[in-house]
Amino acid sequence: MLITGLGVVSAAGVGLDNTLDSFSRGKRNAGRVTLFETSLPYPVFEVKDIPEKFYMEGRRTLSLALCAVDEALGNAELGSDLSGFRVGVCLGTTVASQLNDIEFYKSYRNTRSAPMTSANRYLKGNVAEFISRRFKVRGPALTVVNACSSGTDAIGVAISWLNNGLCDIAIAGGADEMNIVPLCGFGSLGVLSSELCMPFDRDRKGLNLGEGAGILVIETRESVEKRGMTSGLFISGYGSASDSYHLTAPRPDGAGLEASISKALSDAGITLADVSFVNAHGTATTDNDLVEGRLLGKIFGAGLKMLSTKGYTGHTLGAAGGMEAVFSAAALREGWIPASAGFENRDENIPVAPVVRKTTVDGRYALSTSLAFGGNNAALVLERKG
Amino acid sequence: MNVLGMGIICAQGRGVDRFRDALNRGWQKPAEIGASYLKDGKSFAYLADIRNIADRTLLKKMRRSDKLSKMAVYAASEAFKNSGIENIDGKTVGIITATAFGPHVTTFDFLDEILQYGELHPSPTSFSNSVHNAASSYISSALNIQGPTLTVTQFFFSFQSALQLARSWLNEGRCDYVLVGTAEQYGDVLGYIYNEKLRAASDGRIKPFDFNPVFHVPGEGAVFFLLSNRKTDNTFCEVENILMDAETENSPQVDLNIIDADGMLADESVYAYSLSEDIPAAAYSPLFGSMMTGSAFNCAAGALMLKEQIKYANPVRDNPHGLNIVSETKKDNIELIRIIRYNCYGNKAGVYLGKK
Repeated sequence: MLITGLGVVSAAGVGLDNTLDSFSRGKRNAGRVTLFETSLPYPVFEVKDIPEKFYMEGRRTLSLALCAVDEALGNAELGSDLSGFRVGVCLGTTVASQLNDIEFYKSYRNTRSAPMTSANRYLKGNVAEFISRRFKVRGPALTVVNACSSGTDAIGVAISWLNNGLCDIAIAGGADEMNIVPLCGFGSLGVLSSELCMPFDRDRKGLNLGEGAGILVIETRESVEKRGMTSGLFISGYGSASDSYHLTAPRPDGAGLEASISKALSDAGITLADVSFVNAHGTATTDNDLVEGRLLGKIFGAGLKMLSTKGYTGHTLGAAGGMEAVFSAAALREGWIPASAGFENRDENIPVAPVVRKTTVDGRYALSTSLAFGGNNAALVLERKG
Repeated sequence: MNVLGMGIICAQGRGVDRFRDALNRGWQKPAEIGASYLKDGKSFAYLADIRNIADRTLLKKMRRSDKLSKMAVYAASEAFKNSGIENIDGKTVGIITATAFGPHVTTFDFLDEILQYGELHPSPTSFSNSVHNAASSYISSALNIQGPTLTVTQFFFSFQSALQLARSWLNEGRCDYVLVGTAEQYGDVLGYIYNEKLRAASDGRIKPFDFNPVFHVPGEGAVFFLLSNRKTDNTFCEVENILMDAETENSPQVDLNIIDADGMLADESVYAYSLSEDIPAAAYSPLFGSMMTGSAFNCAAGALMLKEQIKYANPVRDNPHGLNIVSETKKDNIELIRIIRYNCYGNKAGVYLGKK
């Protein structure tokens, strides 16, 4: 399947060019929460300037999604009316799937009555359905709510749709907003860092939450040829496997992650040796980085080029997989990966270390991994040809 | 794609046998529940009872889970059991859980904790169980399934989309079996929202063929299907097609139309356009309640009817438009059943179930 469009928005920048500029300069746009009142001291990665034409009051996830979709469609030379094409929309999210509006609930809790504004927004705010209706899409629409692997799994669903002829073009990825509920939730789990996150570092103290959206336009070869387009970027493999272990902790031996990588590689028809670099999930929590780093070291060996981009974006939950697929595709195209922001000291328990400076990559394949609550593991193989 | 096994839990009890009993028995008044948002404080809902579950092994594996996850695990486990398939060694089993509202009750519990104890002190257990894919995760760990595990939400078409994806996974060889199902839980806040946006049935009766005005009775429960491209002696039926919106135009002749009318749309007249004089119609929502993913329960009824070659009478037979509706339970030759759902935008989805 060919990638004809990329769109991204995060604290690292609005649009791919701005994002790559931040990556190149090692810029980390984190700070205290400004989007809502909170006593929690953890730094977060907020998107500061959502362009006005995409901004919708009280619908932040949709605004972020719209911003990234617009860029990806522009890239793919597709307009705002897709009714002439067979298009599917599959997007991952976490926050937008829940009515976790604390003011609504506070009102209901206190008076057994609450204004319906936020409930109405929620009922009309299914992210895939919203994008589908906005662009007059005629194909399938589905929102994936697989926690932190949602974006990656949404791309996997889109691949299945394209493989099975349910659509010719797919808009896939993820979007998520900064919200008080996951902030309190991850805080309650003790996995938030009060400093800037340090993925895979010996002294890592936890994750920073972020927000954003990452979108790919994926098409069948027939569709691309019919539209007179070309692309040198491909999604060549997707794998997903469950740990079957624990609701929040990753399986210590990384078996689920290994199975998902193995499936993605076999989908692409390649071996581990063909992988140029890995864009790891790398949240900077003690457990995630230990399990993921050990597994990557075990299967790839110590010479692996790898990174985590969460030092630039924070952990954007349901958007992360979509954003990291965009970053991986862009890295293949541009021929470099950024320094893994936040990493300084090697963890002796992890046999691989992320790159510490902007690094040339000249291979054909990249691997992007996601691990999630619930024991989900997902992996994508991205490819550059020509 | 074939339905090899089926598990269900709803207000009528747990298991295919209880569901068959309910189809035979017809309409029963739903439970009267306290509804603090109403002036008289009383309402109706079809609530599933999970108190007397005997599966201690399953219970042990999900002791910290919420009701939504428990219902999902029970239904998924039973779908496996009644498929008769015991050995899945070397096979890839996928899980797709479709839900409109997910673990909203636990989400509101978590918000309660934030409001009560402050931002620093809510329970991590509540938070982790409030994540949408918790139910799928519990199914995976309780049944030791390591294949792709997905949770999806699309309000009215969540279940149909999940079925469509399961078929894709099987056709691609991504899975040998897929457990597909839905889980919904009733809660006070959801009841309030329903009450604000829809009309509640003051007598507890959903009348699916009234179309306008319509009245709902909230429901909850879970139903899972074990699907595969292979067949077994226990096979319930085949899922012949899942058609969304415009694709349904040239639909084949069916022996029964089951409509998902349940009072969840402000006006359900659109269903009338999908029905014809010569094809009988049925709607079983008065047995399990109003749910955006109610299609899954109607599919369970359809699968049972195809397996047993019995048409079950409509539980509520109010028929003001004089439609051809199934009015008595009897043996019949059933080859193909269509289950129809409309969403609030007027889009239609059809699931076609065929005799195995």
